[in-house]
Formats: sequence, structure tokens, C-alpha cells
Amino acid sequence: MRRLLTLLALVAIAGVVGGSPATADEAPISGTVKAIDAAGKTLTLQTVSKGKTRDVTIVLKPESKIVKFVRPPDPGKAGFVEQALSLSDIRLGWILSVTTRHEGDKEVADVVKVVLEQ
Amino acid sequence: MRTKLLTSLAIGVLGLLVGLWLVRPPATRANGDKHEEKGGHAHVPAPLEYADVHVPLSVWTDPAMIARGKEIYTVRCAVCHGDQGDGKGPAGVALPLKPPDFRDKDGVAEMRDNYWFWRVSEGGQVDPFKGKGSAMPPWKSELSVEDRWAVMAYQHTYSGHSGPHVPWEHPESVAMGRDIFAMACVPCHGVAGKGDGSVGAMLAPRRAPQPRDFTGGEFKFRSTPSGQLPTTADLFRTLTEGVRSSGGPMTIGLRGHRIMPGFEYMPVQQRLEVLEYVKSLNRGFWERGAVKTVTVPVPPTLTPKRLTRGKQLYADAECLACHGERGGGDGPSAATLKDNRSLPIAATDLTRPERFKNGARPEDVYRTLVTGLAGTPMPSYGDSLEPDQAWDLVYYVLSLSRERGRAAEVGTR
Repeated sequence: MRRLLTLLALVAIAGVVGGSPATADEAPISGTVKAIDAAGKTLTLQTVSKGKTRDVTIVLKPESKIVKFVRPPDPGKAGFVEQALSLSDIRLGWILSVTTRHEGDKEVADVVKVVLEQ
Repeated sequence: MRTKLLTSLAIGVLGLLVGLWLVRPPATRANGDKHEEKGGHAHVPAPLEYADVHVPLSVWTDPAMIARGKEIYTVRCAVCHGDQGDGKGPAGVALPLKPPDFRDKDGVAEMRDNYWFWRVSEGGQVDPFKGKGSAMPPWKSELSVEDRWAVMAYQHTYSGHSGPHVPWEHPESVAMGRDIFAMACVPCHGVAGKGDGSVGAMLAPRRAPQPRDFTGGEFKFRSTPSGQLPTTADLFRTLTEGVRSSGGPMTIGLRGHRIMPGFEYMPVQQRLEVLEYVKSLNRGFWERGAVKTVTVPVPPTLTPKRLTRGKQLYADAECLACHGERGGGDGPSAATLKDNRSLPIAATDLTRPERFKNGARPEDVYRTLVTGLAGTPMPSYGDSLEPDQAWDLVYYVLSLSRERGRAAEVGTR
């Protein structure tokens, strides 16, 4: 009985401690494109959080998706559809939102979404 | 017995941990601070440069404007704000600070029109939204003022409210200002802001000045032409600096030099909130259209020639009829002067600039000359004096005080 309770408590603690990074990974990073390194397959976003501005470099891997949202070509259809882009389509000054995962000390892009082309 | 105790303890610890897990603040990353999603849309007062941009009442219900707004919204806004106005456009859901839900009646009702216009114009490029990582683009350089109004009118339709988006339809939009007004202003200006508070009459018994009636159209201290309502910046200046005057017995705490205290120690946001409430007492602020203000040019250098010309203008403009030849407020008409409430009013003693109600800096006196003081016998000289002449008169008026006079003699300000 005692062992079972101890095990339960340990599982709960592990869940609480381990749960944090998992949740954090869901939060996207958004910001303005400050630099694009086509050769290095990275882009740098200028982000602002809690009044502080900082640059975040995002690494793009072959599996990373870059999309923008456009109206469907069929005028009868409502909503938006995804249009795939490549890194060379991205321009400085655009606002992007990126979901990433950590790989070592790198932020690797899962999906890059274009919020605003400007 | 021991097992039972341990079981209870374990269940307690487990419950506590689960509870902590449920209520813990979310982890943050580059700018994905989830707990700020709602706070990011806190409806702070619009800054002074936007405070007077009130949307004309007809815009909110004009089908043509709403249709124009829909067209723009569909192309430029829906990708984040959603086709349904729910803030769930495909690009919006990916943002750390989610776009607001325009279907949220309460949330929309709390937004003042000038705040809304400010947000559309400046987007997330200004604080406090910039600091929260807002991705909202500024539209002021891409959309005309009318286009921005049209977009707002269309967005407003999502809330289901069919009337104009104004404080008398949405009192909650000025609730904070109303509370501050109740604490700080009601004793003099009265519950309804009609200038009939219980203390007001004791400030200057049976004579002017009396507390302002905010529901009327006459405001003394303005940078707007004669007969018009003041700007929010004018009201802000008066609220901050107070009103100088020789007060009655109730102004002992103000050392007799102010009939209205200055609220410079009240936080700026609270001053702006209370002014939004004060403006809500007078629909004229929403009906007046574009606000024109009197420009106060850069003060020229004071020279003896200016003083000579100013002295002549002082006589020509009949300032001495009320203010007296030496500016002591003892001109031949002074004893008969009355304000718009038929209360006796004293001509200002120009030898005591510390009591100039509208301020004693050269630019303050210039503004007073050009705009006049509504509701008092002090007229506007905006149409009869050229700016250079007004400055001559300003310097002469300021030279009438002993201290200023000495400064004038040596050619300094």
C-alpha cells in the first residue's frame, strides 16, 4: 500500500515537472523577419515579450512547412486555404508566426505561418 | 490507523499537486505568454493624439459604410480576425496574443471608439501592445480615416449591437472614469457633472467662477476657436494644472491661489479615464466632427518696440475698460461684469499673473487672447489680431506685473 502511494506521488510530481516543457512547445513565436539566411536555412525574427525586444533565430529543416493563407481559387468557397511557400519567398519585414521544437539550443521550425506581408 | 493516515496524506498531496498543475501559469517562450492573451487586450485610454478622434455617429449604422468596411475586412483583416469576427482566422490562431473576439458583446462594449481607432491605426506597434508581442499591423498609412471607420463599423456588427458605439449606449466603456469622477470631482461638479456639487457654491459664494457644467457647451480653457468644445488635451491641461483664481473659504487648502486643484499626482491613465467620462456627459464631443485648434506660434523675442506696440493695442482693443489702465482689474466696466450665469465676475488683475486662470506662460496668455474665455466677458481676439500683434499684447500684459515688468525692462522673458 505504502509503495503504491509513493509511486502515485512520484508519478504526479513527474507529470507536473515534465508537463511544463511540453506545454511550452505549443506556444508559437511571432515577430518581424529581420534576417534571412538562405544558405544556412535560417531566419531571424524580432520578437517582443514583456516589453523586451529580442531576436530569435529559427532553423528550417526539410520537413519544416512554410505557408500563407489565401482565399480559395473557387469564388464560391468561403474561408482560407494554405499555400505552400519556400524560404526564398519570405521577405524582410513580414510578420510570421512559427511553431517550433527545441533541438539542443536551436529552435527548429515545424510550421511557419505568414501573418502579414508588408 | 497508520495506513489510513498515510493514505489521507498521500491523497492530499496528490490533490494539491493536481491542483497546482491545473492552475499553474503557463510556461513561456520567446513571446508565447499565454496568460497575457486576455490582458493583452486591456482597454487602456487612447493617447491624447487619438483621444479626439470620435467616429461620427452615423458611421456605425450606415449600410454603405458597413459594406465598405466588410470589403476591406475580408481582404485585410479576416486572415487573423476570422470571417466570423471570432478572432480565429487561420493566421490569428497561430499568434501568441490572439485577436479579440468581436462577437464578445461585453468586450466590445468596453472598447471606446477612440481606443478602437487608435488600435486599427497603430496596430501592435505601440505600448502597451508592443510589449505584449502584438502582431497587429498599423493601418494608418494604408487605410484612410474613413476606411478605418468603415472597418470598425463592420467589426462592430459582429457584436450584435445595432446602435452607434458611444458611451451613452455603452456606459461600461467609461465606468472607470465614472468611479474616479465620483471620488474626485462630484463635490464641486455634482453627480451629473452640471457644476452643482454641494461644495462648489462655497468656493466662490454668489460670484464667478463656479464649477464647470460639463453638459453645457461652454468651456473656458480651450485651444479651439471661440464657441467650440475643448480638445481632450485642453481638458487634460486643466485637470493637471487646476484653475488659478482667488478662491473663497473652501479653497484654504489650495492656499487661495486655485479655485480648482491640480491633479498632477493622479496617474496619467486615470486622468485620461476621468476625461473620457467627462466627455461622455456631452454628446457634442461626438457630433462636432474634425477638431480644429488654434496654433500657438513660437514666441518671438521680447523687445521694447513690442511692448510699445502692445501698450497701444491694449488701449485700442479696449482691454483697459475691464482690466484698467495699469491692469489692476479696476477698469470702468469692471464693477458691472457678469458671467453667463448672471453672476458677478471680476476682471482679472493682470498685475498678478499667478492668478491667471488659463495660465501665465506667454503661450497660455496668447491662447487666452485668441480663444477668449467662454461664458465670461473675455472675448476672443482670434479674428481681430494678427499673431504678431497678439504676441505684442501678450508681452505687454505680462509686463504689467511688477516682476514681469522688471524682466521686460531688461529685455528678457
